[in-house]
Amino acid sequence: MKRLQKETLLGYLPIVPFALIVVCYELLPLAQLAASSLVGKESGMVGLENFIKIFTTPLYQMSIRNSIRISLLSALVGILVAFLAARFCHEASPVLRRRFTMLLNMTSNFSGVPLAFAFMVLMGNTGVLTILGRELDIPLLENFDLYSGDGLMLVYIYFQIPLATLLLLPAFRGIQPQWREAAMILHAGPWDYWFRIVIPNLLPSILGTLSVLFANALAAYATAYALVMNNYALLALQITSKYKGDVQIDKATGGALAMVLILLMVAATMANNYLTKRAAKGRNLV
Amino acid sequence: MNKTSLAGKLFLGLLGLYLVVPFGLTLIYSLFVEWTDLLPRGFTLRNYITLFSDLEFWTSMGRTLVLCAVSVLLTITLLLLAMYVVLVVNRKLAGVMQFVCMIPYALQGVILSISIISLYSGSSTFLSNRMLMLFGAYTIMVLPYIYQGIRNSLNAINAQTLIQAAQMLGCGRFRAYVQVVLPNMFSGILVSALLAESVVFGDFVLANNIAGNNYQNIQVFLNRRMFTSSGLASAIVVVIFLVVFIVTGLVLKLQKNESKEK
Amino acid sequence: MAYISFQNVVKRFGDNVVLDHIQLDIEKGNLVTLLGPSGCGKSTLLRCLAGLEQVTEGTIILDGQDVTHVPASQRNIGMVFQQYSLFPNMTVEQNIGFGLKMQKMPKDEIADHVRRAVELVELKGKENQYPASLSGGQQQRVALARSIVTHPKVLLLDEPLSAIDAKLRKALQTRIREIHQELGLTTVFVTHDQDEAMVMSDVIELFHDGRIEQSGSPVSVYTNPVSTFAASFIGSYNQIPGGQFAALTGDAFDDACTVAIRPETITLTRRCPKNPDAYTLKGTVLGSTPRGNVLRYSIQVGQVKFHVDALFRSFHIFDPGETLYLSIPKHDCLCISDKEVHANAV
Repeated sequence: MKRLQKETLLGYLPIVPFALIVVCYELLPLAQLAASSLVGKESGMVGLENFIKIFTTPLYQMSIRNSIRISLLSALVGILVAFLAARFCHEASPVLRRRFTMLLNMTSNFSGVPLAFAFMVLMGNTGVLTILGRELDIPLLENFDLYSGDGLMLVYIYFQIPLATLLLLPAFRGIQPQWREAAMILHAGPWDYWFRIVIPNLLPSILGTLSVLFANALAAYATAYALVMNNYALLALQITSKYKGDVQIDKATGGALAMVLILLMVAATMANNYLTKRAAKGRNLV
Repeated sequence: MNKTSLAGKLFLGLLGLYLVVPFGLTLIYSLFVEWTDLLPRGFTLRNYITLFSDLEFWTSMGRTLVLCAVSVLLTITLLLLAMYVVLVVNRKLAGVMQFVCMIPYALQGVILSISIISLYSGSSTFLSNRMLMLFGAYTIMVLPYIYQGIRNSLNAINAQTLIQAAQMLGCGRFRAYVQVVLPNMFSGILVSALLAESVVFGDFVLANNIAGNNYQNIQVFLNRRMFTSSGLASAIVVVIFLVVFIVTGLVLKLQKNESKEK
Repeated sequence: MAYISFQNVVKRFGDNVVLDHIQLDIEKGNLVTLLGPSGCGKSTLLRCLAGLEQVTEGTIILDGQDVTHVPASQRNIGMVFQQYSLFPNMTVEQNIGFGLKMQKMPKDEIADHVRRAVELVELKGKENQYPASLSGGQQQRVALARSIVTHPKVLLLDEPLSAIDAKLRKALQTRIREIHQELGLTTVFVTHDQDEAMVMSDVIELFHDGRIEQSGSPVSVYTNPVSTFAASFIGSYNQIPGGQFAALTGDAFDDACTVAIRPETITLTRRCPKNPDAYTLKGTVLGSTPRGNVLRYSIQVGQVKFHVDALFRSFHIFDPGETLYLSIPKHDCLCISDKEVHANAV
């Protein structure tokens, strides 16, 4: 029995290096982040002081509001376009479908600093479209400010679309062609077919994708940083600014802001789990 | 249903155009002397010549490749060892393993980078070394991708019964894992490793936050050049994307081959 | 002492008792089948013998040696799995030679052994192919060759044929039986298919809820089920409560027992037969289903529904609604009381 125990302990040896790295660079940092958010910046006491400060400071309030607004709107627009794209792509011929999926895979990698730069070339102060707007006298293009909330929104929507389409495509494969035939035989029109059969069946996938998109935009940093640096109130930018630069690191405020971001993402995931379960009640997920 | 409807073709075509435009224009931009009118003027390779003769470009690229290789190889090694324990010694660890490996996927770069800075930057030990922090962070960041690749290939080849079959033939468990299971996982791990490479290659957050100018990778290099020379920056964007395109293409091809074999 | 002996073997997974004090002896050279529905513990017992599961209590003796705590890799037992479990990165030859390589046998000797094993399972010409290019039946034959080439003390087969289609399964059953006889290898076979158990075994061990319900030769298990479970799992016995059967026949049957009658022992005739050694009952045909070369009738007799197997002869088919006589030999009416069994003595 002794020998067996020793052998079992020895069997756990291979997991030790992995556990060490995960504890040092994932679990401990996160734990410390949570802990530091609870130690008041001014008082040094354990409590919600930092959180109260965040929710009473206009800059932080605005950051949270902007982050939620931009994430939610870009996710909604993204999913709307992606729904149509996935639908047409699903119905397309195999050759077209393959090419389009390839394009989606490629462009879904187009994000961060390079994407921000591409949009500067396109719509920056001397961007191609800006010039075009000036020449053709289209004020919307000419006066568009890329380095603002609207600009960020535009770029965020761009990177949401390929991702959302890639996530939705598999769900469309679960829609059986016989359903349409069965619906037609039962005198359902196209409207009935789409709104009473297809969309309810896709709902769990749509909600799941929505939550991924929301979290994705919420945590996005590189694109925003490259476009507006720290000149726009956004949660991800505010958090990072507390840990960077030559000024003293502000663990208390930074930690609390980070916890707000984490909680928002957890909330999105939980809402998604709940809604998905409710939407999928009693049937297989498509 | 096999014939694409006209509306569908139109929609996909326009969307495709929309998705291609930012990169396409950057490509054209990089190949011309100036674009201050409706059409660009003066075809040139000057931007690329300048870029390729810039030592800083090569060092940034080199650092990025080192980061890619080291972090991905390290994570693969750590996970292969850890998954042996999950597979053979204690199956109950599978849930914990999945949870731990998927956290970085949920949190993404910002939280990961600042949490590591927050813990170690004030420390006066060797742990405050920015390079060490950076490698640690990348190892964690690629965890979800590598983990899913390894777990899926373990499931696909039915690793547990393979080990048992080898045991019955007089082979020890660890040896069976190395000799029988690992050779069959090569292609699955390769695909996930390439995916992870493209993640590290495309990373700006960790590199900028943790290392900054101390260990400048290609994305940080781009971000700095963006404000000095837009011609040069456009060439960098094109180079970065050629690399990512090639890696993505390779992944898609490998995945296709694999599904064909089955 | 028996070649393989399970002594009071208990296996629990948490609170779930999978093996409940198993006592089982297996003689050298026999082909023993562990038969039972899924979840009855038969596979677990096999895996305990293999060393892939640790027993919770009890002892396993193999060839005079206590192997209860010996690691699987050192027991010298051959095993064939349900999913073949061939190593996909190795050729047929390398798969079969793997066990010998582990024993550090010289290369030329390995080649020799492998060649003979390949001939034994009739796979000549496939030596350099990879498992993925073989059919299911061929893969299973490679797995068989791989596990017998090392001359194991015992060969374990864990539902090896369940993933193979019906026609090929029959051929492989015969081949396994032949190889067993040729090599004289002690073999333990797990299956949930009673027909397969009948065809292949010297001895059948019938499992039910972690216990051995009945053991014996295929004929004795088939003709003398000891319990209602055995009667319903092996053969598709008609099972009638003793009281009801007494009412039908007028003979005395204990109400606590169940009367079990195999469907093929009943004879159907249009005219009333005269046979003092058989019960004669009058019934109405409800319908029939063809089953291979027999036709299974269901027949209503009073409150009881019988099923009766008759050879499929086209000039002798009874129509639904027809009134018939059932003739049941008295010695084929088994009285089962779920504790003990005795042929009905009248």
